[in-house]
Amino acid sequence: MDWIRKRLGLSAPGWLPFWVIFPALLVIAAIQLYPTLYTIILSLQQIEPGTGQFVFVGSRNFERLFGSIAFTRSLVHTAIFLLGYVAITLGASFAIALLLRQRLRLTPLYITLIFVPWIISDVVAGAVWRLFVVPDYGLFSPFFANPALFGEPNGISILTSVPPNQLSPRVPLPPAPALLFLIVASTWKILPFTTLLILGALQTVSPEVQESAKIDGASNWQLLLRIILPLIKPMLAVTLFYLLLGGINGVGMVFSLTGGGPGTSTEVISYLLYSIGFSKLDFGLAGALSVFIAVLNFGLIALTLKLSAAYEEQ
Amino acid sequence: MLRYRQVLSMLVLLSLLLMLSACTAPVAPGAPAPSASDTAAPVVTWYYYDQDNTDPEANERVGNFYLAETIPQFNEEFVGQYRWVNVPRDYNLVLDLVAAVQNNGDVPDIMRTGTADLPTFLLNNTVQDITDYVTNAPWYADLDPKAVEACTGPDGKLYCVPVSESPYLVYFWTDLYPEGFPKTTDAFLAKAAELKADENFALTYWGSTAFDGEGAGRYYYQVISSFGGSYDDGQGNMRLNTPENVAAVEFMREIVANGYSPEAAFVGNFEEEASFKDGLAGAFPTGFYIGYQYLNPLKSPTGQEFNTVSAQDMEDAVNTGVMGLAPIFAPEGATPGCHMDVFGFVIPNGAKNVEGAKAYIDWIMQQERAVQWVLRAGGGVPVASSVREDPAFQTDIFKQGAAALEASDCKPWYGSLTRIAEAKKLITETMFNLLKGNPDADIAAALAATEAEYNSNN
Amino acid sequence: MKNNKQLRSWVFNGVLIGICFVVFFPILSTLLLSIKEPEDVRRNPPILLPCDTESRAIDLRHCRFSLDGYSRVLLLRPNPNSFFGQSVTGRLFTQYLPNTLFYATFAALITTLLAGLAAYGLSRFRFQGRRLLLTSLLALSGVPLLTMLLALYQMNVRMRQLIPGYEERLFMVVVYVGFELPFAIWVVKGFFDTIPVELEEAAKIDGASPLSALVRIVAPLAAPGLVSIFLLTYVNVWNEFIANYLLLGRSELRGAMYGIYEYISQSLSAYNALAAACILVILPVIVIFLFTRQAFFRSMLEGAIKG
Repeated sequence: MDWIRKRLGLSAPGWLPFWVIFPALLVIAAIQLYPTLYTIILSLQQIEPGTGQFVFVGSRNFERLFGSIAFTRSLVHTAIFLLGYVAITLGASFAIALLLRQRLRLTPLYITLIFVPWIISDVVAGAVWRLFVVPDYGLFSPFFANPALFGEPNGISILTSVPPNQLSPRVPLPPAPALLFLIVASTWKILPFTTLLILGALQTVSPEVQESAKIDGASNWQLLLRIILPLIKPMLAVTLFYLLLGGINGVGMVFSLTGGGPGTSTEVISYLLYSIGFSKLDFGLAGALSVFIAVLNFGLIALTLKLSAAYEEQ
Repeated sequence: MLRYRQVLSMLVLLSLLLMLSACTAPVAPGAPAPSASDTAAPVVTWYYYDQDNTDPEANERVGNFYLAETIPQFNEEFVGQYRWVNVPRDYNLVLDLVAAVQNNGDVPDIMRTGTADLPTFLLNNTVQDITDYVTNAPWYADLDPKAVEACTGPDGKLYCVPVSESPYLVYFWTDLYPEGFPKTTDAFLAKAAELKADENFALTYWGSTAFDGEGAGRYYYQVISSFGGSYDDGQGNMRLNTPENVAAVEFMREIVANGYSPEAAFVGNFEEEASFKDGLAGAFPTGFYIGYQYLNPLKSPTGQEFNTVSAQDMEDAVNTGVMGLAPIFAPEGATPGCHMDVFGFVIPNGAKNVEGAKAYIDWIMQQERAVQWVLRAGGGVPVASSVREDPAFQTDIFKQGAAALEASDCKPWYGSLTRIAEAKKLITETMFNLLKGNPDADIAAALAATEAEYNSNN
Repeated sequence: MKNNKQLRSWVFNGVLIGICFVVFFPILSTLLLSIKEPEDVRRNPPILLPCDTESRAIDLRHCRFSLDGYSRVLLLRPNPNSFFGQSVTGRLFTQYLPNTLFYATFAALITTLLAGLAAYGLSRFRFQGRRLLLTSLLALSGVPLLTMLLALYQMNVRMRQLIPGYEERLFMVVVYVGFELPFAIWVVKGFFDTIPVELEEAAKIDGASPLSALVRIVAPLAAPGLVSIFLLTYVNVWNEFIANYLLLGRSELRGAMYGIYEYISQSLSAYNALAAACILVILPVIVIFLFTRQAFFRSMLEGAIKG
C-alpha cells in the first residue's frame, strides 16, 4: 500500500491523520470505553444498606445473579425468543428475496413497500401490535378469544394469558402466547432489512453460473441448495449474527408491547436489566448483568469477525 | 504547517460546540429572576408537577396549576429571605434522588414523596433524620399518629413530614350496588353471581404486574389484609405462607374463575380503570386520592355521563348518589384491611438550604396552605385534624372516604420489609401467577417459594 | 412457452402483492383506527372499517370517520395571537417532537462530519495500528447502548453536578454520536475507498493540502454517501427510545418515542389518540425514506457487506 502514500506525496503524513481521526475516537472513547470500564467496576460493588456507600464485594453480585430465578427465567425467554425470531426471519426473508429476484416490472415498488416497517421505531411497532390484541377492542382479540381455536373456556387473550403448569419457575415452558406474539411483531419489524441483505447477496450470484447448472440438468431445488445457498452463505451468516445481536439487546418493543408481562412471561434479559437497574435500583447486580450481556455481545462479534476473516482467506 | 492544522481542527471542534450551545440556549426557558429577591436564598423543591406546563389536559394538570399559583405567593411572603425554586421531575424521581445523593449531585432541599418510598431512601441513606425539628414544631401534636408512624424508620426516628393520607377503599356504582357495597366476602360473592347473570362484572382491579409490581400494595393487599394476612413477619423478613394469606388467595381465585372481573384487570397500564370508568364493572378497589383525581371522565352503567375531565366528575357522581365509597369486603366478623399512602416531605442528605426547607414546611402547614396542598398537590385527606375540619373536606366524597378510613384497619403494605422495589415485584408476580397464570398451582408452596427467594437476600 | 411465462409472472405478482398487503396491514389498520369515531374505537366485537349499518356489514356510503384522535393529540386551543387563531398545545408537538428533531438533526450532522474526517484518515493514510483500529471500530459498532446505560446515567448525574450551566440535551447528542460513529466511519470509509486517489493527486500537484483536497475533491464525490449516512443516523436517532428515556431525568427533555410510551403507559383507553400519535410520529421518517430510499439502501448494504 506504500504506493498510495508515495503518489499522494504523503510519505510523512505528519499529524493530519491523527487530527482527522482523533475527534471521532475521543467521542467513542468517552461514550463507549469509559462506561465499559465503569460498569465492570460497578459490578464488583454493592450499596451498603443504611449508609448508601458503594463497597467492594468481589464476585458476590455475579453469584446472586446466576443464582436468581429471574435470571434463569429471562435466559430461557431470550432463548425461545431468539430461536423463533431467527428461524422465522431467515426463512421468510429468504423466500421473499427469492420472489423479489424475479425481475418483474413492479419489483422496485414492492421493495419500497416491504421496506417501510424497518423505518418505524420499535416502540411504535410495539404500540401498533399491542393495539391488535387489547382485550375486547383489539382487531385480533376475537380470533384469540375463540374457544374453538384455542381451547380454554374463553379462548386466550394475548396480553393476559400464561400457560398453566409451566415446567418450573426457572424454566417457563411452554412459553406464553405473548412471547410468541412478541416474536411475530419483532419479525415484522426486522424482515425488510434481512430480506434486502439476502436479496443483495442473491443478486451477486451470476446468471451464467445458474445457466450452466441448468444445462447440466440440475433441478430448481438442486440449483437452490447446491449452488445458490453455498454462494450466499457468508451473507446469511452476517444476517444471522445481526439478528442475534438485535434480539439480545432489543428492548423497546417489549416496553411498548407487553411491558414484560403478563406476569413475567416476556421478561427477556434486556428487560431484566432495566428492571434491576432502573426500577429496583440494585446498581451492583445490574452492573453484573450488564457485564454478562456485554460478554455475550463481544463473543458474538468476535465470532463474526473470525468467520469473516476465515472467509476472506478462502 | 503542523500548528496550522492543529489550530484548524481545534477551531472546527470549538465552532461545533459554540453552534450547539447557541442552539440550545433559547430552548431552555429563561428563569425569571426578580431583582428584589436576588439576595433571597433558593429553596429547591422536586415535584412531579411542572409549574410551566399549562396544558389543561396534562396528566398532572392539578398539581401543575397548584405550583404555578403558589410559588409566587411563597416568594412574595418570604421576599428577600427565601425563593421557592421548583425543579419539575417525572415519576422516576425516587431513583433520581437516590442517585443524586450518592453522587453528591444537585440535591433538592425538599421533595414531595410518599411513605412507600421511605424504605428505599433509608436503605440508601438518602434522607435526613428530622425528628427534633418535627417533634418541636407547633403543628406536631395535631397530626394523625398513624401517619407519623408511617414516617418513622425502624430506628424510631422520623424521616418525613406527613401532610396528607389516602386510604385504599372501594369506589362503586350504585346502579349495580343499590344496597351499597357488600360488607362480607360471602355477601360479595352472592352479589357478584347476581351481577354476572345480568352480564355485568362485579369489580375490576389492578391485577397485572405492570409498573414493576405496583399491584402489591393495591387490591392484593386490600384483600390479604382483610383476611388478616400481611406480607412480613414484623422483623424485616417476608412471610407469605400463612393460613390467612392462603385463604385470601383462594377467595381471589374464585373471583377470577367465575368471571366476576374483566380480562382487562390483568392487562395493566390503567386498562383496568377503563372498564370501571365506562360502567362495565361495578366496583373498583383503589386509593382514595387515585379515584378522586384520576378516575374521569365517568359513564355510569345506566349511561349517565360526567365529562369535565377533572376531579369534579367524581365529586358530581358522588353528590348525585351515582357513585359510592366503601371499605373493602372482609370475612364475617373481620375488620376490612387497607394500605394507606401517606404523602409529605423529605429533606435529602446534602440539601443546601435545610433552614429554608423547614421554613417551607412550616409555611405549607398553615391551615389555608395545607388545605390547598392536600387538595391539589398531596392527595387524600389531611393528616392534621384541624385541617380536616375545613369546609373543603366536608363534601360527600370526603365524608364517605373518611368513614371508610374509620371502618378499616389501615397499615402500610410493606410492613417491616426494606427492599420495597424487590418485594413488590416478587409479590405481584406470585399473585398474578396464582390467580391468572396457574390457577391450579398449590398456593402455600408458591407463597413459600417467594418468601424464601426474598429472604435469601436478607 | 410464452403463456407459461406470463402465468408465472401473474403468480409472482399476485404473491408479492399479497406479501406487501400483509406487511402493510398493521400500518393500514393503525391509520384506520386513528380516524375512527370514539364509539367505533371501543366496540366489541371490533371492526376494521367503520362502515357497517343496521342491515349491511359494509356499506361504503355510511363510513364514519372523525379526527377525534388527532385533535386529542394536537389539543388545539383558541389563541388570538396565533396566525390561525388556534395553537397546538399537545405535548407531543410542543415538547417531544421538537426534542427529537433537535437530537436527530445534531447527532446526524456531527456524526456525518466526524465520520467523514475519520474515514478520510483511515481510507487515505497508512499508519501503525490502522488495521487494529478498523477492527475495533467494527467490533464496537455491534455493541448496544443497553449495557452502557448504567454508567452513562451516573456520568450524566456527575457532570450535571460538576459543570455549571450543564446542558443535558448536549450530553444526549454526544451519546448518540458516540454510538453511531463506529458504524458510520465504516460506511463512509467504504465510500471513500471507491473514489480514485488520482483525483486528489491532481489537486496535490496544483498545490492543495490534503485537507483542502478532502473538502474540495473527495467530499463532493462522496456526497451521496455522506448524505446517506446522515439520513441513516437521523432515522436511528429519531427512533431511539431506551437511552432517551432512561438517561434524561426530566420528561420535557425527552423525545417523541417517549411520548408514544407515555400514551401507552398512562391510560390508553383512547386508542384512536394513540394510533394518531403513532401515525404522526412515523410520518416524517416514512416521507424522508420514500424520497431518499436509494440513499438508505446504499449505506445499509455498504455497512452490512463490510461487516
